[in-house]
Amino acid sequence: MAQDSNVVIDHGKSQWSDLWKKEDYLAIWLGFIIIAVCILAYTSFGPKDEFAAKIQAANEIQAAEAAKAPFKTIAWYKAQDDKGKLRGSSTPFGKFAAHWTKKPGAWTSNPLDALMQSEEQAKAKNEKAMPKYEEAKGKAEAALTAAVAAEEAAAGAMFKDTALNEDASAKIKAWRDANKAAGDAKKKTENKAFNLIPSLIGLCVFLALAFGVGIAMMGKNMMEFVQGFTMVFLVAVLAYVLGGQAISKQYGFGAEAWGVVLGMLIANTVGTPKWVLPSCQVEFFIKTGLVLLGAEVLFNKIVAIGIPGIFVAWVVTPIVIVVTYAFGQTILKMPSRTLNIVISADMSVCGTSAAIATAAACRAKKEELTLSIGLSLVFTAIMMIAMPAFIKAVGMPEVLGGAWMGGTIDSTGAVAAAGAFLGQKAMYVAATIKMIQNVMIGVTAFCVALYWVTKVEATETGHTVGAGEIWHRFPKFVLGFIAASIMFSILDQGMGKDLGDAVMEHGIVRGGTRLLRDWFFALSFAAIGLSTNFRELAKYFKGGKPVILYVCGQSFNLALTLAMAYVMFYVVFPEITAKI
Amino acid sequence: MNPQSLPVRLRNFVLALGMALAFVYLFLPMLTNSVGVLHRMSLYLADNGIDPTRYYYTDVEQVKEGENYLYEVLKQR
Repeated sequence: MAQDSNVVIDHGKSQWSDLWKKEDYLAIWLGFIIIAVCILAYTSFGPKDEFAAKIQAANEIQAAEAAKAPFKTIAWYKAQDDKGKLRGSSTPFGKFAAHWTKKPGAWTSNPLDALMQSEEQAKAKNEKAMPKYEEAKGKAEAALTAAVAAEEAAAGAMFKDTALNEDASAKIKAWRDANKAAGDAKKKTENKAFNLIPSLIGLCVFLALAFGVGIAMMGKNMMEFVQGFTMVFLVAVLAYVLGGQAISKQYGFGAEAWGVVLGMLIANTVGTPKWVLPSCQVEFFIKTGLVLLGAEVLFNKIVAIGIPGIFVAWVVTPIVIVVTYAFGQTILKMPSRTLNIVISADMSVCGTSAAIATAAACRAKKEELTLSIGLSLVFTAIMMIAMPAFIKAVGMPEVLGGAWMGGTIDSTGAVAAAGAFLGQKAMYVAATIKMIQNVMIGVTAFCVALYWVTKVEATETGHTVGAGEIWHRFPKFVLGFIAASIMFSILDQGMGKDLGDAVMEHGIVRGGTRLLRDWFFALSFAAIGLSTNFRELAKYFKGGKPVILYVCGQSFNLALTLAMAYVMFYVVFPEITAKI
Repeated sequence: MNPQSLPVRLRNFVLALGMALAFVYLFLPMLTNSVGVLHRMSLYLADNGIDPTRYYYTDVEQVKEGENYLYEVLKQR
């Protein structure tokens, strides 16, 4: 069946052979093979039982301490730290996976620092960071001594003297802050020598074969794919290097943006070589990456900050998507419905990841995805700097400011950066609201896919779509994405918070699926750039409607999120705000 | 088919790439160094290991810290 290469998804008449021949199903297979390997490595063949025993022991200490004192004691926190040290990613499999999927790192003045570091360089960095660490360590030790003395005094009074209890609690909090600062400073003294070239070559071969097999199963030429893949991979690596520079990162100009920019510069100046084009499998990379992203969409996260968080992230966001889309269609008369919905989702949910998922779900064109992400990057950089400055200037409370920024700034990293500028509480609230909102991308992708096959495409073709036809047209990878999300939500819930953190988040996800998901998206951005024509892109920008849509939608988002955050955190649930 | 000759296309590539690199690696650092708030932000982000380019919550360490903090303070004792 002929495919439109400019479209982010394909579809056709369903047959059993689709299961091993169609891109959507192959993306699900590849994604789930990776997920299955990671689950087995960190559970059945991994440290799950050992972690569970250690967590149980720590929980017993914490329960005893909680029964003893009316505040969290030093022993309680030490048991908490012991639980925090349990990470699946520190197992041999975790180290193996991290080594072979390592991305080029951060650098300041020499781009080669992103790819390799000698023993001397590592030693010099460690020595430079050591005085700060020694100072932080000294402060943490002093704070611990003071906390121990205060806790002993409180214990001496059988924890019945309120003043002593409050003093101990305050000193323990001061020790925790100093301890965290010392931990952060210590990380900067642990630089090691590395050379990423061999592992990057190994990863390139692995990815070429993994996707190459899928390409062969689709009936395409595997050798042609493998040959051009080297170039796509190289652009992705260069994008990681360029996006790793400190100032570039500060403005949100990371590997994704550089992948598209570098690819487009090549495609529109020297021209993408013909032998590279068969490897620009944007759809295959994106769909597989999205199936893996499903493992990170955990529905149980939405209660992290209680009902106020759900209202700010899960009530405002769908309203903003629908209103922005309707505004684009009825007022602005956007010629492309797909561009309209991708910008709406990108702006209201969580930027790049929502744009990718929505674009794939509604079959948006590559240029539309590029344009949406470009808009998001520009406005994110502006909002990340302007919002904390405005919030500080008007004297808005930290929790309200954090909730406002968490619900409106697109990318999670930028939300954390903007929140940190306001203060620690603001950062915690902002980052948590954003996390809850991130979880919405699964629901958004599913609803958009369903709406597109039942309404939009039916309107365009002028006839009603039956259940069978809906199934034929439905982008199946979305089901893989949702299935992964539901499966991981159940697993995470079943394990409980501590074991879930150690095995799921710091094992299966951070030590497995996420490592490859990052690369799959990096490859897709490089491939998008290499196959994008500037003239095509300019057509979508005509009249500036995408910018108007983004600005109007974001203004509505800002107003509604602020109003909802105020009502929820200061009118309906002030007791939650008081605890934060 | 691109009608331009290879040297012209190569020149265009070098010019376009040079402009992109100059914008990000010359103009933006200059802007950062000349505007106080941007400079402070740059130092703060570097000190605290915050990466604004990360788009999903599992990529950002501070999200976990926030989640743990809120879990502790909101948990009923």
